Amino acid sequence: MTISRRLFVKSGSLALFSLGLDPLFLARAAYAVTNRLTVYPSNRPVLVCLFQRGAVDGLNMIVPHGDPFYYSERPRIAVPPSDVVDLDGHFGLHPRLAALKPLWDAKSLAIVHAIGSPNSTRSHFDAQDYMESGTPGVKATPDGWLNRYCQHDREHQDTPFRAVAFGPQLPRILAGSAPALAIDDLQAFGLRAPQPAARDRLTRAFEELYAGSATGLLSSSSQEAFEAVQTLRRVDPTQYQPADGADYPRGKLGKAMLEIAQLIKADVGLQVAFADVTGWDTHVNQGAGEGQLAARLGELGQALAAFTRDIGERMRDVVVLTMSEFGRTIRENGNSGTDHGHATAMLVLGGPVRGGRILGRWPGLDPAQRFEGRDLAVTTDFRDLFAELLARHMGTTGLDPIFPGFTPDPARFPGAISV
Amino acid sequence: MKYRILGCLLLLGIGSPPMTAWRVVGAQHAAPLHMTVTSLRDTSSPSVRSAHDSALHALNRLAYGPRPGEVDRVAAEGVMRWVDRQLAPRKIDDGALAEREHRFPLLRLDRGDLADMYAEVQRERRERKQAANGAADTTVTPREQTARRLAGQFQELAVVRAAVSERQLYEVMVDFWTNHFNVYFAKGADRFLTPDYIEHTIRPNAMGRFEDLLIATAESPAMLFYLDNWESVAPGSVPPAAMRVRARPFFGRRPGSFSFPPRDPAEQDSMRQRALQRAPQGINENYARELLELHTVGVDGGYTQQDVIAVARIFTGWSIKRPQQGGDFEFHDWAHDTGEKQVLGVRFPEGHGRDEGIRLLKMLASLPATMHHVSWKLCQRFVNDDPPDGCVDDAVAAWKRSHGDIREVVRAIVRGPDFWAAPNVRAKVKTPLEFVVSAVRAVAADPDTTPGLAQVVARLGQPLFQHVAPDGYPEMEAAWVNSGALLDRMNAAVALAAGKLPGVTVTGDSLMGAASSPDELIALVDREILGGTMSENTKQVIKRQLADIGDPAQARTLAVGLALGGPEFQRQ
Repeated sequence: MTISRRLFVKSGSLALFSLGLDPLFLARAAYAVTNRLTVYPSNRPVLVCLFQRGAVDGLNMIVPHGDPFYYSERPRIAVPPSDVVDLDGHFGLHPRLAALKPLWDAKSLAIVHAIGSPNSTRSHFDAQDYMESGTPGVKATPDGWLNRYCQHDREHQDTPFRAVAFGPQLPRILAGSAPALAIDDLQAFGLRAPQPAARDRLTRAFEELYAGSATGLLSSSSQEAFEAVQTLRRVDPTQYQPADGADYPRGKLGKAMLEIAQLIKADVGLQVAFADVTGWDTHVNQGAGEGQLAARLGELGQALAAFTRDIGERMRDVVVLTMSEFGRTIRENGNSGTDHGHATAMLVLGGPVRGGRILGRWPGLDPAQRFEGRDLAVTTDFRDLFAELLARHMGTTGLDPIFPGFTPDPARFPGAISV
Repeated sequence: MKYRILGCLLLLGIGSPPMTAWRVVGAQHAAPLHMTVTSLRDTSSPSVRSAHDSALHALNRLAYGPRPGEVDRVAAEGVMRWVDRQLAPRKIDDGALAEREHRFPLLRLDRGDLADMYAEVQRERRERKQAANGAADTTVTPREQTARRLAGQFQELAVVRAAVSERQLYEVMVDFWTNHFNVYFAKGADRFLTPDYIEHTIRPNAMGRFEDLLIATAESPAMLFYLDNWESVAPGSVPPAAMRVRARPFFGRRPGSFSFPPRDPAEQDSMRQRALQRAPQGINENYARELLELHTVGVDGGYTQQDVIAVARIFTGWSIKRPQQGGDFEFHDWAHDTGEKQVLGVRFPEGHGRDEGIRLLKMLASLPATMHHVSWKLCQRFVNDDPPDGCVDDAVAAWKRSHGDIREVVRAIVRGPDFWAAPNVRAKVKTPLEFVVSAVRAVAADPDTTPGLAQVVARLGQPLFQHVAPDGYPEMEAAWVNSGALLDRMNAAVALAAGKLPGVTVTGDSLMGAASSPDELIALVDREILGGTMSENTKQVIKRQLADIGDPAQARTLAVGLALGGPEFQRQ
């Protein structure tokens, strides 16, 4: 309430912002791309992250059909035993994920079950925030862990396409001082004008405007945009044909996965790709083998299968990770749906994966084992899986700055990646 | 209190001070200087830099940006007089908007009309599907076309009101509350409940008391449907026979809901079975949690999972009628949990009905945590993405004084020094809606009733009424500034300047009249579109671009397009 606190203490940092000298801007300026290649070596490790926003019901995605409580707690929404695509006698895939069974058999798909956050929040927003900042319980973390990975590993910092989020907004997980692109539609990325000459002229004019007059995020983001526009000119995304008859589902996820495949194959240096998949907040009528959740899982399964087929050989360098902020209640609610719970399941898919295995310790659905008496308990901290992917797949050393306040320990890694 | 303005007067007087100057002033706390100036709050203008700059700032934050000439008009009127007028929207003549609203047939349909249409569309779709034996059928019937057109009109109307209304601050508040009490237009019945929600829940209460707004949203069919509360029932409760037979068919998410009962008794039985299976059998926590986390006390408001459950129990039975009956709010005695509950340490004794929900909403509306949470969001909207503590304190104090009168809270924010402090001027980046509407206003373009502008806003990342999560669209610049979105803004700016943006008519005359030289054109664009904030670099870049362009119309288009798409115009 005092004038000193409000005006004078705060105004220091605010003044920095308004003058365009905010820390983010300065940090990004340090990343100015110098030795720009045009084609990047094609054996770079790639990490594709899909965020199932809304909290996927891990128990109906990866069904613990061998656990008796699964059926007794879900009389209306359990996936019938005859419909489950069995994996190991205890767990099975939801039938609409059947397209992933061949990948499981080929040992390219691993599943981490009962994974989640050490923080107990059941708020979507907080839980998503924590999963993206990589710091459960700490809201003040300014950047996301994927961005911190990009800050930490500068070796591949030579292309505007190093980290790309597919969607209209740059997600929290990629926010931070390292450059990251947000691309909603690869084909329409850039200035539009009837003739190429007019387009080039407009592009140059805006580039000069932003280079000279923009401050803060407006400056760094526009710089990244114009660099990307240049590179994309070579790729010509309008000509892309998926390989091997890969059949992507219609809709945002299919489009994002297709564009990710396209950028990987175009060798523009893509290392970290991110896309959102929405529609998992199934409070009402989530369905069992068919229904709402089944439709979303069907789309996910088809997108992953199409991506794998399209990428082909290159899957040797690619890992796809699904994540979701928390799981859902073990017991179905009053509306044939599920409310916010705790642990969920994550899929890890790709050439470097030690697949065909369910990873993590299964706590069981027995009421005595439940978190707060109602939800699937978390036995794997999501940071242990994320850290393993960065260490063993992306080849990162010194993970501590990427997950502040947490000491990644290989002994706790779930073992998703071959060593 | 009254000397606070002085602090910002001193700061603003420095102009664009180097960092060190700020630190020095901060270190001295400027205390002795307080003596030299008496309260500025009593004067009609707290303008601390110039009347022009204050008017520009007020129009950028409390309105959707200035129209040509408007900065001068507001400056001449006195910015605080203008603010006071904006805080009494009903006294502002809004004939232009009323005339415009006549062109939206949507506004002549009530919830019942829309519900009927929606039910008919669903029926037609089902019949077609049956006729086609489940094969994909992409035909769009005339009724479906009408429904889609109305949906487009609904989104466009929001953009048109923001662009055209004289009650600018009111429209800004409508947008604020639309996000604070977000519903998702594309979820089932919300396709026909949302227009009614905006007209009859949000708009009438946007400048009233927070408590009234909170209760109105809690009772609104759109919110009850969106956050699933309409299906939240006390465990073990059984609907009266009449409701059971119909198996609570609702809103198209359930196959077969509006069809006639089959003749075969065995099939009738199995339908009844399935219907019973689908019937709600317990509480749903969705609304209860978001009510606490987002609408009132905030995620740090000190509630537990047990509180969430108690709130859900209090709202059991808050439901809605079928669409055929207009989908009105309806309290179901039979579904209400009459047991005792405890919320945030307050006891709600057994034996109560709908009244305990109202009691709870009134309690939540007056909790300090709610005042703080909502005030913080208002300060974020009006002052800075990272709201200054003092702004929040002022707002909370006004909230207490006025018992939650939204106008007084906003007035306190605008009268406080933070609103005018130099570091907060142009510190916020426009949301896509703000960008599009302010651009349309800046060039005095004339929006039509096609969904064109709303589609532009959607392409820039903000499809209106379609934020699926209950937190509404964010205010933070990091959510809106990214490479792809910036390129799209540049494209939209050039299209608008060229008169090619869908949903809007731009006449050559409204674009800067006739300037006789590039320098004159640039000066005009700077004054009318950027309010005199154009940087030297921008002037030079535009000048270079104009060098080889002989056609005055082309030159105007290019200069205006670059100004609207350039960095200065992205800020407010």
